[in-house]
Amino acid sequence: MAGTIIADTLEHSTAGSVTTDYVVNGSAKAWTNYNQSGNTVNGSFGISSVTDATGSTFTITYATAFDATGNMCPTSTGANSSTAASSQYCNSAVQSTTITHHTGYNAGNSQATTAFNYISIHGDLA
Amino acid sequence: MQTPDFKGTHLFDRLCWAKENLDGVQSDYRVVYEDSVDECAKILVPDPNWMACALQGGILPPVWVYHELAKDEAQPDFKKHTRGYLLHETQPIEALDEKSAIEYLIMKDVPQSVWQTWDEGNRPKMVICKKEQLPQQRTWRNAWRISDELAA
Repeated sequence: MAGTIIADTLEHSTAGSVTTDYVVNGSAKAWTNYNQSGNTVNGSFGISSVTDATGSTFTITYATAFDATGNMCPTSTGANSSTAASSQYCNSAVQSTTITHHTGYNAGNSQATTAFNYISIHGDLA
Repeated sequence: MQTPDFKGTHLFDRLCWAKENLDGVQSDYRVVYEDSVDECAKILVPDPNWMACALQGGILPPVWVYHELAKDEAQPDFKKHTRGYLLHETQPIEALDEKSAIEYLIMKDVPQSVWQTWDEGNRPKMVICKKEQLPQQRTWRNAWRISDELAA
């Protein structure tokens, strides 16, 4: 591909060096900003769809696959405003190497539809 | 914009190229399906960036690649994918129109038990509709089912 730089190590003049493994393995492989209230994907990378499963649960299916469920690390949070932090939150679970499952909660720890679900996933791709 | 020749390019790199070069496409289509009699209807929302890849062509692998990986994962002794190269080395598919892209997405992301027998039985298990055809409020969301009136 045009513009490719092949390098195993990045070296700073004074601060030391880091292998590019850190970049390859440490980058998020996919993310999404999903509005379950409006059932719309606001922004994303690396996913193929979101499935609204119940009033507060949904699944994300990835455009690629991870190599093993044990090598997947989804993290998520939620809010009901795009500008103010709130006590909404969102849990995550790995369902398969291509699917993660999520549930939104309100401040009272009850399942609740969340307008802004922020999810990213790290891990090893297949 | 012309898609580069991506055969043999890692799928993650192809998705990165698409994210940088293509505008997302918000589809109005939604796929409503029921995969359990005990659960409410599920609603699949296509991802805008994925849809852009499907319409562009030359980026996504054929859907059978995902089915092969799913077969591997279903084996009782599965530990880790060993055929991930199928995602990266298989010739990417040509550009699809939106309806064909939705059909591809159904075969990729909806359980096979639903889409392979969607019209068998007394009522359909799956419906493709426009977003505006869904209820506009989420009241009683956990009770949503596909209407019996759709049974022909």
